[in-house]
Amino acid sequence: MSGAGNREAVFATRQSLGIMKAKLKGAEVGHSLLKRKSEALTKRFREITRRIDEAKRKMGRVMQIAAFSLAEVAYATGGAGNMNYEITQAVRSARFRLRTRQENVSGVLLPAFESYTTEGLGDFAMTGLGRGGQQVQKAREVYEKAVETLVELASLQTAFVILDDVIKVVNRRVNAIEHVIIPRTANTISYINSELDELDREEFYRLKKVQGKKQEESAALELEEKNRKTAMPEVRDVTVPHNAEEDDEKDLIF
Amino acid sequence: MAAPAAYKDRQFLAVIGDEDSVTGLLLAGVGHVENGEQNFLVVDAQTETSKIEKAFDEFTERKDIGILLINQHVAEKIRYRIDAFTAAFPAVLEIPSKDHPYDPEKDTVLRRVKRLFGE
Amino acid sequence: MEGLFFNVDSGYIEGIVRGYRNSLLTSQNYNNLTQCETLDDLKLQLAPSYGDVLNNVPSPLKTSTIATLATSKLHSEFLYLRSVATGTLRTFMDYLQHGYMIDNVALLITGTLHELDTSKLISRCHPLGLFEGLSVLCVATNVDELYNTILVETPLKTYFKGLTNKDLDELNIEIIRNTLYKNYLEHFAEFCRTAEGIAGSPCQEIMEQILNFEADRRAINITLNSFGTELSKDERKKLYPAMGKLYPVGTYQLGNAESNEAAIAGASTVSEYADFFKQATMMGQQKSLEDLFYKKEMEIMKEVFTQQFTYAVVYAWLKLKEQEIRNITWIAECIAQNQKDRIGNYISIF
Repeated sequence: MSGAGNREAVFATRQSLGIMKAKLKGAEVGHSLLKRKSEALTKRFREITRRIDEAKRKMGRVMQIAAFSLAEVAYATGGAGNMNYEITQAVRSARFRLRTRQENVSGVLLPAFESYTTEGLGDFAMTGLGRGGQQVQKAREVYEKAVETLVELASLQTAFVILDDVIKVVNRRVNAIEHVIIPRTANTISYINSELDELDREEFYRLKKVQGKKQEESAALELEEKNRKTAMPEVRDVTVPHNAEEDDEKDLIF
Repeated sequence: MAAPAAYKDRQFLAVIGDEDSVTGLLLAGVGHVENGEQNFLVVDAQTETSKIEKAFDEFTERKDIGILLINQHVAEKIRYRIDAFTAAFPAVLEIPSKDHPYDPEKDTVLRRVKRLFGE
Repeated sequence: MEGLFFNVDSGYIEGIVRGYRNSLLTSQNYNNLTQCETLDDLKLQLAPSYGDVLNNVPSPLKTSTIATLATSKLHSEFLYLRSVATGTLRTFMDYLQHGYMIDNVALLITGTLHELDTSKLISRCHPLGLFEGLSVLCVATNVDELYNTILVETPLKTYFKGLTNKDLDELNIEIIRNTLYKNYLEHFAEFCRTAEGIAGSPCQEIMEQILNFEADRRAINITLNSFGTELSKDERKKLYPAMGKLYPVGTYQLGNAESNEAAIAGASTVSEYADFFKQATMMGQQKSLEDLFYKKEMEIMKEVFTQQFTYAVVYAWLKLKEQEIRNITWIAECIAQNQKDRIGNYISIF
């Protein structure tokens, strides 16, 4: 029997055939839905990867400009490398923070980072008070913009990582349905069908047999009757002539 | 997949990089010092790799950090760690530094992108 | 008369300084530098004046290395001058160093308060501001100790007048730094007015001009940079040096200014500075106010060399050399970061 090794262990009954048929139908619907989901996600995924590629290149440029603004600070403060150190030391509380929000793509929640800055100039308002303060503030603005770009990129990257996972799972499911569940269910159905056919044929044969037997029986009975009929007159003629009248009458009744 | 709880408290960025990169980013206001814990590490030629690794582990384990920025040339030193780090949070972002322009070939994520599209 | 015996004590140094001044890069040199494609080209172009310190540096060259080495060369030249200086000139040169010491001490104060590896801090200090007691500061573990050490060990003790040990902990380091600098400028001016050999000579006149300019520049910068910070008007007023062309009318107006316009109006009481602001607004992004101040400073320094028999040439040479290092670093940075369109922002005066 085909696919004997790959079917579900069910009794070949009409009831289980019904169940299997429903299951197949469900699997097919599920497959097409998941397939669509996977396609939607993949579309999104490709878009994100493209944007990541772009954003990474953009980041290169932005960071370069930002690094250059530090050179301007160094120039204005008289090449004081000390400023770097003072900034590292002056850090107290983050002014630039993140907020996460979610975006729903085909049932997948993708987090996206948003940046916001708290009020005030932060820890470095006084840096370069006597010299270079304007450049320091300018560099701060440039870097703020740069970090915004980085945050945007980080959102894309997180989305990329999560989508990558989700797509893998969804594709695994699609493939499982397509290559395992559907053939298995179909196999089971055809098994049940063939099994049921077999049963049908057996039943038919049995009926045939019974009928044949019955016919045989009746034929034999008839033959016997006939024989008796044909043999009877001779016997009657020979042995029981006095019954002839009665028999004839009985025959007439037939 | 990340449950909302996994990222709603992540409001800081962390930085591992050379002095100029860190200075610039701190200037933008990402720095945060609390209870003696700071969210940035300045790496110079003398910094040992183990120290970078330790900082990387610490920042990736902290629950209040959403994005970890790391200079690409620093990332090179602990590349295997970054390759092994696959969680969505925090997002590890490789950034260029003044002396080391950005090279997409080395980026863990971009390599993954390339691999996926079989390029 | 006053020049009659100058050469007995200081003629040699003046000669050396004038020699140094002649080796400063000219605009022709700068032009060549800006044409460089790589830092190695730059190194080659710098060979006449910086070859001795740069030649042994292996590639790839970093801009920070160039800056550090150039500064160390300046440092060794200064040390040489100082070692042959005597009398008033020696004290004068000590005063020059005090300006750098203020920055170093400020750095160490932050470092010590944050309990950092102080040996690293020392290596970051400006070489001209190093002095013997500096490393002792690192030993201090708390604010009181640090304060005492500063008063005992550093040449800056007089500048700490008006600062208490509590201020060290509570005030922003920038306020401390600027207070020190204000006191420094006032003391330096006082020194120039009274010291034997300077007082009454053209040197006093020149130094007055230079220090007044520096004081005004700081006052204007502090005012402009303080908007939007928590620095109150009273605190700000305390940071203005009590000297300069702006003092007292201009500084009073600056002290009360609450906006850029008011500050500009205050600074414009001196017509020279009024011109600056006009230029700065005209030039827009191209030249900042700071650039204009630098340019003006360099012009003053250049003129110092037209005078003879004055200690001010040492000061002028130091500032010119500093600007030269800044220029070189800037050009190197532009080349290294491929930002050639801004490369012309250096200030060349020869």
